[in-house]
Amino acid sequence: MARRWECLEPGCGVTLAAASDDELVAAVHDHVREAHDSYELEEIILAAAEGDEE
Amino acid sequence: MTTFAELRPVETRFRLDPELMAGPIYRKYEKATRKVWGAKDLDYEPDASDWARMTDEQRSGIATITVRFEAGEQEVTDELLPMLAAAHALGRFDWVMYLSTFMLEEARHSEFFAVWHARVPGLMTPADKAAYWPLREHTVDPQGRFKVGEPVYEGLSAYGQRLSAAVASGDETAIEGAFVQFATLYCAWIEGVLTMPSYEIVIDTTQLWDVLPALRQGFRNILGDEGRHITFGTQACRILIAKNPAYEALAHEVIDEYRGNAVGMLEYQRRVPGLDLDKYQRQKVRHYLNRCRELGITPDSTLVDQILDPEIDFVVGVEAG
Repeated sequence: MARRWECLEPGCGVTLAAASDDELVAAVHDHVREAHDSYELEEIILAAAEGDEE
Repeated sequence: MTTFAELRPVETRFRLDPELMAGPIYRKYEKATRKVWGAKDLDYEPDASDWARMTDEQRSGIATITVRFEAGEQEVTDELLPMLAAAHALGRFDWVMYLSTFMLEEARHSEFFAVWHARVPGLMTPADKAAYWPLREHTVDPQGRFKVGEPVYEGLSAYGQRLSAAVASGDETAIEGAFVQFATLYCAWIEGVLTMPSYEIVIDTTQLWDVLPALRQGFRNILGDEGRHITFGTQACRILIAKNPAYEALAHEVIDEYRGNAVGMLEYQRRVPGLDLDKYQRQKVRHYLNRCRELGITPDSTLVDQILDPEIDFVVGVEAG
């Protein structure tokens, strides 16, 4: 199972998946910067990540 | 006669076992000890040069936020102790270990802003800094529905005193409930929601104006620390709420007490020219929903609606300085 994270920005709801925590953090950083002109902290992402690393 | 070893068996004197060291809170302690940075290691010369060529409006907009941060960091450093005492009282040694880094980091943040103010804008004295501080009572809801409180300067002290009293009582349920309220206010609401727009404002504007790299780097370093603080508080509360679901209402109660601080942008956040304030309101909702997810509690949908409602906003009645 991949690691998953759901964006809670109002009106977004995108779910991102990656094989590892490092890849998930990078994908979330890209999404939050490109879609919301913002950032999300690594610890915040990891606190909400679900699923196991592959 | 009872020996001390019978009263306090030797085995109970060892707290750090492999299970604790495999847990998420110990991991935060480890990460904090790897991520140490020094306020005096940053190069402030480029910031001083930038400051000299910035406009008065730009300087005022930035200083209005940085003086709030300096005082706020000093306040939270000084008010953290009840959480540490409660962790001890609850026998959570991994929480005690992590909170030792938490307090050190808050002290470092205090130092960073004092150094930056001294070396860049030359704000040395409390009076120098107070001149950039618009008073909270100047922020007014024109519809009169919401009151903007002082969660840092009144709330932390009040909830800290309640937590200290609970620790003194030795009543585990009282300590847990007071811990949930204190940590929800400190870590989830103040650090995790209300302050977040100010970080973004400083990082956004210093990038847009291409100025103050040390200030921006300092904010990024602080944010790295804050990510651990926020998620420590929410994880610790989640553990306690899972143990006793009645604590969820206590978390909502303390957020509700300072609901007015989230429904609009505050006086010191409105001084930087050219900002899209709606963006920061949407982000507040994301941060609030993130905190509820981490806490394992149901978000208050009326609060979300109020933060996003364009009809609800504040005006700044009287400018300071």
